[in-house]
Amino acid sequence: MVESTGFEGLAINAWLIWILPFVGGVLIPAIAKKTNQRITNYSAVGFALVSAIFAASLLITIPSGAEIHNQVSWISALNIKAGILADPLSIIMCNIVGWISFLIIVYSVGYMHGDRDIIRYWFWMLFFIGSMQLIVLSDNLLMVFFGWEGVGLASYALIGFWYSDRKKDYVGREGHYVLGIPMWASPTHAGIKAFLMTRAGDVMMLSGMFLIFMHAGTFGFKELLEDQTWANNMMQHNLLVPAAVLLFGGAIGKSAQFPLNEWLLEAMTGPTSVSALIHAATMVKAGVFLVARIGPLFFALAVFNVEQFFEVVAWVGAITAFLLATQAIVNPEIKKVLAYSTGSQIGYMMMALGIAGISTHFVDGYTAGFFHLMSHAMFKASLFMAAGGIIHVVASRFMNDMGGLRKKMNKTFIFMTLSALSLAGAPLITSGFWSKDAIFAALLESNSSSGIALFWIAVIVAIMTAFYTFRMVGMVFFGKKSTHIQQIENEIKLPADSSGTASNDPNNEYKSSENAEKTEKSSLTKEKEHVHEVSPVMWIPFATLAVATVIIGLAGFLFEDELHNIFGNYLETYFGIGLSDTGSSVVQNPHENNANTNEEMIGGINIMAVIASVTAFGIGSGLGIIFYITRTKDPEIISRFTFTRKIWQFLYDRWYLNALIYWGFVKIPLYTYNLIWKYFETYIAQGLNPAIQFTMSYLSKLVKFTQTGVTQTYLFAFVAGILVVLLLLFL
Amino acid sequence: MAAESSGILMAAIFIPLLLSPAAYFIAKRRGVKSATWFTFGVLLLSTILIIIPIFSLSSENQVYLESYKWSQFGNFGLKLDGFSSPFAITIYILCTVLVFFSRSYMTKKIAGQFDNLRPKNNLSKYLEDNNSIHNTNKHDDKDNKTFHEDDHAVGSQSGQKQISQYRYDLEPSPTQSINTQMGLFFALFLVFSMGMVGTVLATNLIEFYVFFELSLVPAFLLVALFGYQTRKKVSLMFFFWTHVGAVLLLLGLLAMGLFAGGFDFDTIKENSSKIPSDWMVLIVFAVVVGIAVKLGAFGLHMWIPGTYAESPTPISAMIAGPMSGIGVYALLRIWIDLLSVSYSDYSIYVNIWGVVTMIYGGAMALMQDDIKKLLAYSSISHMGYIIFGFGSSSMLGITGSTMMWVSHALGETILFMMAGVIIIKTGTRSMSNLGGIARKMPYTATIAMIGALTMIGVPPTLGFMSEWILFNGALQTGAENMDSFRVVLFSLAILTTILTASYLLWMFKKVFLGPIFAEYKNLTDINKYIIISISFVAAISLLIGVYPDPLINPVIGYTESIFSDSPEIVSLPIPHQNTEIISDTQNTKVSINNES
Repeated sequence: MVESTGFEGLAINAWLIWILPFVGGVLIPAIAKKTNQRITNYSAVGFALVSAIFAASLLITIPSGAEIHNQVSWISALNIKAGILADPLSIIMCNIVGWISFLIIVYSVGYMHGDRDIIRYWFWMLFFIGSMQLIVLSDNLLMVFFGWEGVGLASYALIGFWYSDRKKDYVGREGHYVLGIPMWASPTHAGIKAFLMTRAGDVMMLSGMFLIFMHAGTFGFKELLEDQTWANNMMQHNLLVPAAVLLFGGAIGKSAQFPLNEWLLEAMTGPTSVSALIHAATMVKAGVFLVARIGPLFFALAVFNVEQFFEVVAWVGAITAFLLATQAIVNPEIKKVLAYSTGSQIGYMMMALGIAGISTHFVDGYTAGFFHLMSHAMFKASLFMAAGGIIHVVASRFMNDMGGLRKKMNKTFIFMTLSALSLAGAPLITSGFWSKDAIFAALLESNSSSGIALFWIAVIVAIMTAFYTFRMVGMVFFGKKSTHIQQIENEIKLPADSSGTASNDPNNEYKSSENAEKTEKSSLTKEKEHVHEVSPVMWIPFATLAVATVIIGLAGFLFEDELHNIFGNYLETYFGIGLSDTGSSVVQNPHENNANTNEEMIGGINIMAVIASVTAFGIGSGLGIIFYITRTKDPEIISRFTFTRKIWQFLYDRWYLNALIYWGFVKIPLYTYNLIWKYFETYIAQGLNPAIQFTMSYLSKLVKFTQTGVTQTYLFAFVAGILVVLLLLFL
Repeated sequence: MAAESSGILMAAIFIPLLLSPAAYFIAKRRGVKSATWFTFGVLLLSTILIIIPIFSLSSENQVYLESYKWSQFGNFGLKLDGFSSPFAITIYILCTVLVFFSRSYMTKKIAGQFDNLRPKNNLSKYLEDNNSIHNTNKHDDKDNKTFHEDDHAVGSQSGQKQISQYRYDLEPSPTQSINTQMGLFFALFLVFSMGMVGTVLATNLIEFYVFFELSLVPAFLLVALFGYQTRKKVSLMFFFWTHVGAVLLLLGLLAMGLFAGGFDFDTIKENSSKIPSDWMVLIVFAVVVGIAVKLGAFGLHMWIPGTYAESPTPISAMIAGPMSGIGVYALLRIWIDLLSVSYSDYSIYVNIWGVVTMIYGGAMALMQDDIKKLLAYSSISHMGYIIFGFGSSSMLGITGSTMMWVSHALGETILFMMAGVIIIKTGTRSMSNLGGIARKMPYTATIAMIGALTMIGVPPTLGFMSEWILFNGALQTGAENMDSFRVVLFSLAILTTILTASYLLWMFKKVFLGPIFAEYKNLTDINKYIIISISFVAAISLLIGVYPDPLINPVIGYTESIFSDSPEIVSLPIPHQNTEIISDTQNTKVSINNES
């Protein structure tokens, strides 16, 4: 074990990984002032690249399983140190973050070309990356929280990036009300929503941190592990599980898990590159990473019963996975489909991390969750970037306005389909298949009561995932060209009242409300010449990731095995969770006697899991192909039956969750405040103060009455006063 | 802690007072620009003087004291210690920073009053460039003539020669009037600043009260003379409310002094246990309620929205930022420090009051359309945070609250300056008339965002540092004593941070984001003096937010020294290294105290 104590060796690289993007962000405005646009762009890309290279330089420590832990003094009065902790977990994570962010930054050069606020964009993107790397590399919870709020802030700024609130930057269909709550949002509104909802999670996380801090006196991960008397203390007060669950509350907020999932959809108002960054590399992955960070810590304390914590994690993940997958099926906006799918896939990761804690093989679930995080980061970044390209070209975010794009946008079609296959879990050739398979296997082998239930939820979600993925690909690339496309190609301005767009989606009823937007869109499309392929600076990044998913997919089993070994070693070395007795001071894993069964798992594939995932892919993709690619069946079929239409409406209305949240936390409180304002505050301020003034003036009149001007009276009063004082003094 | 006789603090306090008439005459004779630089120089000098003694402080010697023989009330002392130094330094720094902003704002504001009296083109000529005002004043004897000619020219052009000359005879020239008024403003400004710093440095109850009132009088005059439409009503209300609070406080202070046998802080601290418990209730009540008026705690906050909204904006910033510190400091020093024996008995009530104030202020802030009123309510809400922390009965809570005041002062000053900039530039402070001006005023928007983040408590601003320490302390009390009521209070309080975030982000959205109004097409950002002033405040917030040691160490050290042997007060979390000897907790605690 290499332990670095000073600023030496690789430690400085680890510090620079997160410091550099911040420095870059601060320098960008200065660079932009002195030089031209091109150099500014290059320097932004440069900062991201150098940070990623530093991340890569840490990879050499992986085979040895070493960790780099480096601290400097920070808040001396409370004995809190700032430090970085680069162990295998954070090294792998910071490479994922660094390289995917780098590709997204490259893509942004093309995507954001010509935007007048490009400097602000670069600042916040680099700030975002820096904050995420800070979360990944910090060695204590307080610094993690710095990064945590940093990503929250950056997401607020980037979701509301186009703050002029032009109609084309809105998300959701205008005119769609649920329970009287509008379901469309402007960028600035969406930014505030994201900030406040994640803040609700952050508040929980802070509370959890406080509970741990007051018992342990430290925030450091290493320190918490070294001496576990704090856990003893907390357990005696029944605070350990609440503290863990509160910490997980932060992850719920950031990773958009149920019940704080609703901000993620409105977050689509940002530039698509931002969505890619939020969904693939930063922000939502922060929550998963946090669970991966603290999960083993709490598991290592397993002499105290912390299973409830992992149960909560797994079930929250399962609920979210199901909830969001159902909504993805019916959504007409390409970015929102992807957003729902992100929430749903993060749910998978949470399930895997949760099941790790309640199963006998911690490392299986742990590896599966993290593997899925990796593959999801790659294919989702790729999908978002491709979607951004399409939106860029088509100038609409609605899939009904696309269709038949496969010939014109050949490269986008190929690479997006590859990534989409990975999302759907196409067997054997995609990384998504292997990671999902690993989760299934972990769920099946968990030997816990909830394992089977979770497994079936996972399978159902997998079917839905495959279906909505193919629906998306089908609607965008296959079928007839939509009127919108034809109109762009013919460069004919659409009259404002023509609403008869060709559509295979059952949402036709909302079309008419779109007229206003249509006009704006058409005026916008006048600038575009025709539907065309995106520029290389845009397609190369997502092509790279798409190819990478396939490469990992082809080597999938070996890859997973390798990851399994790395994490197995990691967990065993540092947490004493593992296959053999390490003899370390760490509390031994009580499930250790079952550990031998792990060996069997590594050697072979879990047949049941493979069958399940292949079947799920088969069913889901089959339905998707029938309805949206070959189009042998018309999806309108569901509008024929009341029951299916109701379900469709229910899903389209987001299970009423968004509306309920708005009623509960926005409308009703505001109404109450307004009542207080009207009938209490104003009443008192305008009623009491004049009353006091009146009293005062009345009193002054009384006093005035005594001012007679007659000397005798004054003398009398004076003498009387002296007498009173004398009496007081001598009595 | 031997008394020093260098007189540095004495000079830091009395230089502004003695030189305040000079500010008036300089403005009158040499123009506003000279007076601005003069005021700035005086305050800068005082700030530096007050910072110098800080470097002589160390972990062994935590107090810098200057003491002079005074009257039968005791000694006249000036003391910098863990509690007073953050307040004194913050107050002086913010006052210094506000000088340039005052100049830009007040010259426009005062000239605005002429708006009704004089033809607009005439006026705007003087406003174009403040230098012209200065230039014309360079030659005193020529002054009248220049203006006469000026008036003459304009008047004849518009065929209003007669009228303009008539007006000239009746009133002083606009420049002359602006100069005089600005002189008065800066003179009062200096006295105001000095009174506040005097309050936090005092070592004697009577001295404390004298400074306390001394800061109130110039504040009242500033509001009454330079405020907006309803300034007379509002200034009286301000004076009345704070005065009633002060009198209540005075009664408490007198009772304390009489029972303890002296008015010096040291005497009272030694003898505070001599106060009979029946009287203690009354004294604590008088002190806390008297101060709560100053803080604007729930129920006693009625004077705040009006005063903050109708004062000239630099004075709003002064009252909301630095001046709120007097109340916070008074609560800290007189209740928590001097009456520490009674502290834990009454802390829970203060705790509840704090939570109510937090929520109420935040909720009312959401209902506002006037930016300054919104900020006023946000100030009330933030005072709630501080009161909540002071009632937390834990060392971290008290430390966090003290830090919270510093971040509040920084944040509130930034935001009020932002409001002032918007008023100067757009002439409105109603949020519904604003929107999308971030594009036109990028610097103001950026710095306002930092101010808002400081108030919300987002890292890396100071707001977060103070917030987590404060809330950690509050939860600690609840969790360690298994006091579910306190845990509920904590939950309500920490959820209020979401409310804080919502009204500030909402304000930011309404003012700076969204579609822009056509009338703001030609809007430009404010001049660089103001930008630099506000950025300076923002930079302090960011720097201390990342590296809080200079602020946190003295405060936490002093808090520990007060409560080192009172078991009711929840101590700091035990640092990890010492947990091996878990049975030896008492020893560990002592060793920490010695270190700091």
